[in-house]
Amino acid sequence: MQRAIEDTFKVLESGQAQVLLQDVDDVRAWMRDNKSRALVDKRMTEQEAVSRFVHDGAYLSYDLSSMVRGLASLEREVVRQGIRDLWVAAKFTLLDTTILVAGGCVSKIDVGFAGLGRTLFKAIEQGRVQIFDWSNGTLALRHLAGAMGVPFLPTRSLGGTDTFKHSGAKLIEEPFTGKRVVLVPAVNPDVAIIHVNQADIYGNARIFGPSITPVETAMASKRVVLSTEEIIETEQIRRSPNRTTIPYFLVDAVVLAPYGAHPGTCPGLYAYDAEHLDEFFAATTDEAMQVYLDKYVYGVASHQEYLEVIGIEKLLSLREAERIREGYYV
Amino acid sequence: MEKYTNVELMICMAARLVEDERTVFVGYGMPQIAAILAQRLYAPNIIQVYEYGAVGPEVATPFRRNMMADARNSYRALAWTTMNPIMWMASAGYIDYGFLGAAQLDPYGNINSTMIGGTYERPGRRFTGSGGGNEVASLCLRTVILMRHQKRKFVEKVEFITSPGYLDGSPGARERAGLPRDGGPYRVVTDKAIFDYDEETRRMRLIGLAPGTTVDGVLAEMGFEPLVAPADELMLMEPPRLAELEMLREDIDPDRVIIGRVG
Repeated sequence: MQRAIEDTFKVLESGQAQVLLQDVDDVRAWMRDNKSRALVDKRMTEQEAVSRFVHDGAYLSYDLSSMVRGLASLEREVVRQGIRDLWVAAKFTLLDTTILVAGGCVSKIDVGFAGLGRTLFKAIEQGRVQIFDWSNGTLALRHLAGAMGVPFLPTRSLGGTDTFKHSGAKLIEEPFTGKRVVLVPAVNPDVAIIHVNQADIYGNARIFGPSITPVETAMASKRVVLSTEEIIETEQIRRSPNRTTIPYFLVDAVVLAPYGAHPGTCPGLYAYDAEHLDEFFAATTDEAMQVYLDKYVYGVASHQEYLEVIGIEKLLSLREAERIREGYYV
Repeated sequence: MEKYTNVELMICMAARLVEDERTVFVGYGMPQIAAILAQRLYAPNIIQVYEYGAVGPEVATPFRRNMMADARNSYRALAWTTMNPIMWMASAGYIDYGFLGAAQLDPYGNINSTMIGGTYERPGRRFTGSGGGNEVASLCLRTVILMRHQKRKFVEKVEFITSPGYLDGSPGARERAGLPRDGGPYRVVTDKAIFDYDEETRRMRLIGLAPGTTVDGVLAEMGFEPLVAPADELMLMEPPRLAELEMLREDIDPDRVIIGRVG
C-alpha cells in the first residue's frame, strides 16, 4: 500500500500561469543577510520609502482589506514616482490594483479579486496587463507558504476549474493517503505595503480588527514598508505583547500617515469617504481616470498635500462618522 | 398586497432556506442581506463568516454601499481573525452554507465570474475573478447560488469555470479534481424559481416556483433545460411576507442599496 502511493506521487495536472518561483534556500539566505535585526529608527518619508524599496519590475504585495486600511497612501506614491512593470498580488482589494493599473505601474497581476473599476477591466481586455487567475484563498495560502519558507502548500480548493488551469497550481496524489489535492507555490514578494493602526519607530506594528494576511505577507516579503496612523512607544508594545501583529525585524520602513487609508476606512478611527469613492468609480474612461489621478496623485507632492485637497472639514466629518470604537481602540 | 422587487424576493427565499445554529459564509450584497434577514427573523443563532476574518458579527445595519470588512460589518463579532484561518475552517468542514452569486451558471452548478467572450488573453468582458468564490464553492458543505433569472445567465456550458459545481456531473468528479468528498451546490435561488441538484445525475432540478410564475415561464428564460420535479412536489413559494419587507426596508437596507425600489 505504502509503495503504491509513493509511486503515484506525481503531478497529474498543471496550471499554465507564469509563476514567480524562487529557491527557498536563496530566499532564506536573503532574509538572513539583508533583514537586519538591529533596533534602528526606520521612520522615513513615503517618498524615501518608495524610492528605496519599490523598484521597477518588482513583485508587490499590498495587504489591506477591501476598503479597510486601503487605498493606502503609499500606493499613490508608487503611482506618483512612476514605478513600472510591477507584478502585483491582487488579494482582497477593491481600488488598489485599479489605481496602480491606471497609473501604468503594472504589467502582471496575480488575481485573487481583480478589483473594481472599468479602467481596470479595460486594461485587461486590451491586453495592457497580463492576468494570472488564482483565488483569494490560494493567494493567501501562497503568502503563507512564502512566510513558512516552504516551496508550496496544499489546498482542497481550486481543482477542476478554469481558474486552476489559468493559475500556476498543480494537482497531485499526495504520498501519505493517496488523496488528490492541489498544490500552490509559495510567493516571496520583493516588497510589501501594509497600512497599520500603530507602529513604534523600529517597526513593531499593530493592526486592529480582522485582516487578510498581514503577518504572512510581512514574513514572506523581502522588503516591508509600513504606513501607520500613529507612532507609539516600544514600551506600549511590551505592555501588551498580545496586540503585536508584525515584529520589527520584518520591517524596513515606517511612514507616518494619519488618514493613510483614505478614501478607505481605518476601523475605530475614521469612516470611508463615500463621496470620494463615488468620484473614483465614476472615472470609467481613461480620460476621466487621468483627471482623477491629476487631482489626487500627480497634482500633490505628498500625502499631506493630498489631505489638504481632501480638506479638514471632510476629514473631521469622517472621524465623527466612525461611531464604533469598541474592539479596536477600546 | 405589498409590491416587492426581484431582489427582495430572492433575498426572502434565500433567508428562509438557512437552518439555525449553522455557519454561513457570506460575501458582499445579496448574500449579506439574506443572512442578516435570516438571523433577524428565522435563525437567530446562525454564525455569519466572512473571508476577511469576521466570525459571527452582529452586523450594524443599515446597510451602506461599499460596506465590506468595516467596523459596522464586523461589529460585536465572536472572533476576529485573518483570511487563512477562515479558509481553514471551510476546508476542515466547519462551514455549513456558502452564499454565492454568478454571472453564468451551467446545469451542474459550475459558476463563471471571470470572463465572457474573446480569449483568456483578450477577454471580451472581464470580471473580478474568483475572489473567495472558488473557496466557497469548493469547501462549504452546501452552496447556495443567488442570481437573476435571465436566459443568458443559464448556459449549457459556462465560458470559464471560476468556481466548481459538480464539474461534468460524473460520480466522483469533484474528488478527482482534488476537492473534498462532500460539498457542492445545494440550491439555486432566482427571482423566478428555486432549484436543487439531482442526487444521481447532479443536474439542476426545478423544485419551486416564485409567486406568479409557471414551469414554462421558468424554462423559457433558461439557456438549458433543467430537470423538473413532479408537479405535485413542486413548491409554490410564498411572496415576501410583510414582516420580511418591513425588516428589509426599515431596518436592514432603508437606503435600498441592494434591495432596490419598487417600480
